Amino acid sequence: MTDPQDLKQRLKELLITGLRLQEVAPAGIADDQPIFVEGLGLDSIDALELVVLIEEHFGIAIPDEEVGKKAFASINALAEFIAAEQSRGA
Amino acid sequence: MAPSAPQVVVTGLGTVNALAGSVSEFVAALRAGTCGIGPVTVFDSTGYRSRIAAEVRPADADAPAGVASALRRRLSRSDVFALRATAEALADAGLAGAVPRERIGLAIGGTTGGMLRGEESLRERIQGTRDQYPSASVLGAPISASADVLADAFDLAGPRLSLSTACSSSANALGAALDWISLGRADVVVTGGTESLCRMTFAGFNALHALSLAPCRPFDRERSGLSLGEGAAILVVESAEHAARRGARVHAELLSYGNSADAHHLTAPHPEGTGAALAMRRALARAGLAPEDIDYINAHGTGTPLNDTVEAMAITAVFGEAAARLAVSSTKGAVGHTLGAAGAIEALATILALRDGFLPPTVNLTDPDPTCAFDLVPRDSRSATLRYALSNSYGFGGNNTSVVLGRA
Repeated sequence: MTDPQDLKQRLKELLITGLRLQEVAPAGIADDQPIFVEGLGLDSIDALELVVLIEEHFGIAIPDEEVGKKAFASINALAEFIAAEQSRGA
Repeated sequence: MAPSAPQVVVTGLGTVNALAGSVSEFVAALRAGTCGIGPVTVFDSTGYRSRIAAEVRPADADAPAGVASALRRRLSRSDVFALRATAEALADAGLAGAVPRERIGLAIGGTTGGMLRGEESLRERIQGTRDQYPSASVLGAPISASADVLADAFDLAGPRLSLSTACSSSANALGAALDWISLGRADVVVTGGTESLCRMTFAGFNALHALSLAPCRPFDRERSGLSLGEGAAILVVESAEHAARRGARVHAELLSYGNSADAHHLTAPHPEGTGAALAMRRALARAGLAPEDIDYINAHGTGTPLNDTVEAMAITAVFGEAAARLAVSSTKGAVGHTLGAAGAIEALATILALRDGFLPPTVNLTDPDPTCAFDLVPRDSRSATLRYALSNSYGFGGNNTSVVLGRA
């Protein structure tokens, strides 16, 4: 079981390098900040890339928009989603 | 031209190129005869035969303020140039809120779109530093991407066209804009072209030995090839009546264009310049002008041995005796050959010449080719009162377009 803080840090770094958020640092992303639109300013195309990134790095599929919407609400939500999927698979 | 066709005028100007981040800077550089060609820095040019080009300065290559962050990350270098030039042209035209969004058209020429960024992603993938091909590289790649970005950023909802006819692309975009206004399809058209340097064109022109080792010298006896450039120019066009009604400042008149195809060779022009001559004749005929009405030609004038010889032959064929009093110059010694943006950047230079009363010089020309029976305006600009002018653009594959512009 991954430490939740480590997982959140890893997700922030993945967002920044994977989506090329050149003007953002990991410390600049709050755990509860919305990732899309008004938060980090990501859009639907970024969401598609994020789905691929999560699948490649964690082996976890995001099957539909409903799951994606909940999982991508914030770093907290994404970390919880991944932890839940991992414990389910274990 | 049908007698009922409206007079079409240019009411907004914008540019980014190696010499300028604005139109006022461009006028000053053209008058001063500055050369913008230097070492390539946007990518590693090690190993290429020629290693120079006319690059946009770093300060003019950043996305302008006010672009949404998700869009900003996906902009190609071509998109950035187009955004900056369009912002300047729209502000110059005073268009904000003056015309319904559905009545503003967009016609943009280009040839490589987001190629530079695609090349970088491919390189990362080959080198193994990144295994995911980022969406930005894919979405910014098409030649249509720049027009999509402009429509989104400036809320332009009228007819939209992205066109690519090699190095005459943006001259044909101006033609499409003229036709839309003439046919009443739009009240205003934002038109021009954008192009960024990339390895594909740089390597390709190098492989063809078409690039000069020193900054290009159009129409020089010792010319040895072209220099690539990059940038964008955007014009706002509308009918004279529409411009007068909203009290817009008129920079110049856009009278006509003519085009033709050589249907002869992949890269070489027709040896007698018949296609180039036909485009000029068609442009003059549609404008209702005779050769002696033209005071100035902004030539395609790439600086390759073949282009300049054939273009001079075509000018002589069309203008005959009238060629003796013509001034003909090439802007490519100053801003390089900007491919898909060349037609628009050179139409802009022509508009500024008409508006401000000067002849832009052929920069780097020291020993004029004696087969040219007209004034080539070597090195130094001169004051001149001009009434009508032609801007020539010729592309690979035999794509010929000439645009007629007139003083306001």
